[in-house]
Amino acid sequence: MDKITDLLSYILPRLSWIAEGLGQLAGNLLRSIPYALKWALENDVSIATLYCQMVRWIMPILALMILTSILRSMIRVKNPKERWGYLYSPELGRFPITHWETLIGKGRTCDITVPFMTISKVHCALIFDGVKKWRIHDLTDRSDVSVNGVTIDGSREIEAGDSLTIGGVNMEFETISPKEAAIQEKRRLFTSQSTITPIVTTCLLTVFQMLTVSSLIINRPEHSGTIATSFLIFSAVMWGYILFNYLGSKTGLESEILAFFLCSLCLAVTASSRPETVHKQLMAILIGMAFFLALSWYLRDLKRVVKTRHLAAVLTCGLLCASLLFGTITNGAQNWIHVMGMSIQPSELAKVFFIFAGAASLERLFKKRNLWGFMGMSFFCFGALALMSDFGTAAIFFVTFLVIAFLRSGDYATLLLICCSAIAALVLMLRFKPYIAARFSIWGHAWDDVSGAGYQQVRTMSAAASGGLIGVGSGEGWLHNIAAANTDLVFGMICEEWGLIIALLAIAGIVSLSVFTFRVVRSGRSSYYVIASCAAASMLVFQTMLNVFGSLDMFPLTGVTFPFVSCGGSSMLASWGLLAFVKAADTRQGASFAVKKIKFKNKKNKIRIPGQPPQSVDDFFDEVLEGSNEEYPPLGKDAAQKDPDVGFDDMDDFLNDIDGLFEKRGDRR
Amino acid sequence: MKNITRRTIVTFFLAAILLAGTGFFVGKLFLNGDSWVSLSANTHIYSGGVLKSGTVMDRDGEVLAASNQGNWTFNDNVTTRRALLHTVGTPRGVISTGAITKFAGKLAGYNLITGAKHLGTAGNNLYLTVDADICRTAYKALGNYKGTVGVYNYKTGEIVCLVSTPTFDPSNPPSIQEDDPNYEGVYVNRFLSSKFIPGSTFKLVTLYAALEEIPDIQNRTFHCDGSVQIGDQIITCTGVHGDLTLEQALNVSCNCAFGQIAEMIGGKKLAKYTQATGLTNNYSVNGITTRASSFNFDSKDSGDIAWAGVGQGKDLVNPCAMMVYMGAIANGGKTAVPQIISKVTLPGGLKTSIYLNKKTEPLITEEAAGIVAQYMKSNVVNNYGESRFPGLDIYGKTGTAQVDSAEVSNSWFAGFIRNENAPYAFVVYAEGGGSGVSTAAAIANTVLQSAVANAPQE
Repeated sequence: MDKITDLLSYILPRLSWIAEGLGQLAGNLLRSIPYALKWALENDVSIATLYCQMVRWIMPILALMILTSILRSMIRVKNPKERWGYLYSPELGRFPITHWETLIGKGRTCDITVPFMTISKVHCALIFDGVKKWRIHDLTDRSDVSVNGVTIDGSREIEAGDSLTIGGVNMEFETISPKEAAIQEKRRLFTSQSTITPIVTTCLLTVFQMLTVSSLIINRPEHSGTIATSFLIFSAVMWGYILFNYLGSKTGLESEILAFFLCSLCLAVTASSRPETVHKQLMAILIGMAFFLALSWYLRDLKRVVKTRHLAAVLTCGLLCASLLFGTITNGAQNWIHVMGMSIQPSELAKVFFIFAGAASLERLFKKRNLWGFMGMSFFCFGALALMSDFGTAAIFFVTFLVIAFLRSGDYATLLLICCSAIAALVLMLRFKPYIAARFSIWGHAWDDVSGAGYQQVRTMSAAASGGLIGVGSGEGWLHNIAAANTDLVFGMICEEWGLIIALLAIAGIVSLSVFTFRVVRSGRSSYYVIASCAAASMLVFQTMLNVFGSLDMFPLTGVTFPFVSCGGSSMLASWGLLAFVKAADTRQGASFAVKKIKFKNKKNKIRIPGQPPQSVDDFFDEVLEGSNEEYPPLGKDAAQKDPDVGFDDMDDFLNDIDGLFEKRGDRR
Repeated sequence: MKNITRRTIVTFFLAAILLAGTGFFVGKLFLNGDSWVSLSANTHIYSGGVLKSGTVMDRDGEVLAASNQGNWTFNDNVTTRRALLHTVGTPRGVISTGAITKFAGKLAGYNLITGAKHLGTAGNNLYLTVDADICRTAYKALGNYKGTVGVYNYKTGEIVCLVSTPTFDPSNPPSIQEDDPNYEGVYVNRFLSSKFIPGSTFKLVTLYAALEEIPDIQNRTFHCDGSVQIGDQIITCTGVHGDLTLEQALNVSCNCAFGQIAEMIGGKKLAKYTQATGLTNNYSVNGITTRASSFNFDSKDSGDIAWAGVGQGKDLVNPCAMMVYMGAIANGGKTAVPQIISKVTLPGGLKTSIYLNKKTEPLITEEAAGIVAQYMKSNVVNNYGESRFPGLDIYGKTGTAQVDSAEVSNSWFAGFIRNENAPYAFVVYAEGGGSGVSTAAAIANTVLQSAVANAPQE
């Protein structure tokens, strides 16, 4: 009892202090507004200054509105569970196949757990190629899978209606009926439509861009033309993309709008730091977008992707070798190639291909030697980057390698071993590379050497603090005068000119990309997409970490870029490339073109509800899903929005219910 | 798929680290923002390395230094300028503890919301807690001695007097040769950033340890023959004191008695109590970090421990930390952490910040504090003479620190006064001042008289 009173007597006075302090602060804040106005009236203040002062208060609010709407829907996104077929056993029941890659066995970690004595823990796998072909793979040592009575050797293609014998258990393989496929497709559309309307957010983003341009023009009058046209073109391209998708009823565009927001910041940073290169940066963004579209399209076809993985591995190694052979040394690291008046950083592009080559479909995961192939490529990359002295990129490759290796194998022991050897390698590197060792030695003590090794970090912190919550205004900072301010120290620049709120929102954007990925892979079709998207999201997050913490002396400064925000062509290209992997995992039908639309011919089939004229199955499902059909409300839109699983639980009942209504009996299961 | 999907949690994990790190940064920014802003390369508030705006005042609003577009002007009175050099600092930042350097962010009007840029450019008014009158008196009282005087209110933490000498006039900075003995350590704030051999003032720490650790110590007697062998060393005393009680031993500052007491306590416990008194702390005076005192109680030779216990040997004490310990004795354990900023206001007089009184941990137990205070009073009554401090209810302990390199000892006086309006703890240190009683105590009296006279009336 005494202790509690002691505690209370300790806390209460402090609480009252805090309350008193906050009260005073709020009061002062309010009272300082008339003071500022009075000052502005008494002194000679130009309209431009007043305008900029006003804009700096509006920008964070706008950014907050834009980001909250995107983030909310990204974090809440729920991809519909899918169903691709069934395994039916008269004794054990019907097992739904929910992914393109399905493990079958007794073990609990299998996708289909068949609790039967004679079945192995992991017995076999069913793999769909995404178009029409299914294969079964025997994963036992004793050839214990047969199809239609014939024991298979390794793997075999199967068709609907085939009878499988798995560890002595007879099962019939079924694919989903057109009815189910139709419902599935509609549901996909609904869940993606239930997110935000992109138009409103894009409008807000446009206002944000306009305000940025206006203050940049005031502060960089000599480059006003370049700045204005660049922003205008960017805005137009953005609107083009959004509207084009919108007309194709694709509205799940959160990740792209997020990228547009970050790219707007990038353009603003460029306009403030090196206004003469704004059009170049705009070009980089547009090329990045093109790369994103191309890669997303390429990723639609899993078969094609899996076939070209080796090419990507060769490209990764080739790009790094090119750096080694033709690269020039800048700031101690040999990572730039100058070709035809352009400077490119091949290691940035190599990141994209590294993930492309490193992710694997389940088929590849059966064999351990495939992991060794990936390790071989990874170690080649680490070696090449070590030779280039590019420590930051090496760290990014390493973390991505760990993520991929973990996702592929889940083997803690091997990963621990790899980490230990990495630490040993790091120690060696520090011994032999004095330039990197110097960066490590100042780490955490930047303020002890303000004009030496801590020069950049200390200035980043000072500028970041100077911005306060709302920033000093576009183009009104000084950090851009410091070397690498618009790349390695870009977080400081954002804090200074656009304020802590917007800087934190930029980080929140990257974080929500990874949360988004984490959620959409729940219904990932192939492990290739799951691994690739997680690796890409992890890479973006880790890169942000190195950039932000490095510039603030919480990590050694490694000279890594902030995805989408830092100036530079190669890093912009890489950022968009990585986004393509995230996009490819999003299975919402209305999300993007990255997921192939699977077509079923439902127009032909008719359904007849007593007392109503016959209508096409397509129309009927539309009605049911929208909830406008009075007979069958349970699969209504509201239910699907609340919980994507609801429909499926009821689906079997529903299908049984309407079974008698189909005109064409051929459709029945 | 199930397995792989389950492993994707690793993405989440990385994102969590990024969020946590960002949170840590935001916390750091909130706490250190104004010192980060005070980087002389920050052109929002500096121009050519000189702070653009701001006014430094004493607690009564007497202007000590003011900037108009980077042109700094100082107080009209040359004594004020010299006395407050280490508190106010210089535009170019040669005095690292100076307000112009340390509180540049506050002077320029930095705040968390609008950062370092806002419509009004006149800068803020920074009211220090020091009183220019008291500081002038202290500076004059120190005369030609190098040293320091610090006085602070142990109830509120306000430092009312902070003077460090040698000093110079910031309006007419002399060209100072590096090895000029007259300007030895001129750029260092001796009160906050130095440490010196404490001499007998340290006996107040040994006394505290003895009261806590040796049962019935107050009823024991000690014997002094002018010197005593402890371990391998001879501890010498200022006189032959004969048989003494603990109180008498402190009155005459008997090295023999305290050497023996230190030996009884032992190095380990002495170290523990020294740490408890906060002497080894780095205090943060509104963000200015004080230098920690240093000791060596690890020696195997009990003679070294005995010397350490009487404030000689390797002991080095920071004057500010000693003053805070005095405050703790006066206050019965806890005391206020010293503060140098009184308030910051906009030019129109609107307060922009609040400074809360911060209390230290208990530096001494309440019971021991009572006894130590009683003995300190007894020092004044029985040894120094109350007539030296007319009208003051004073408690103190002198120190005469011997330095191997110098012929004349350094003079210390530390203590506190009890006064409703002026609850002040103080420390006076004069290099080459000789005995503590003759020099440091006299300076303390002069300063305290002024401090009491200038104390704000409730």
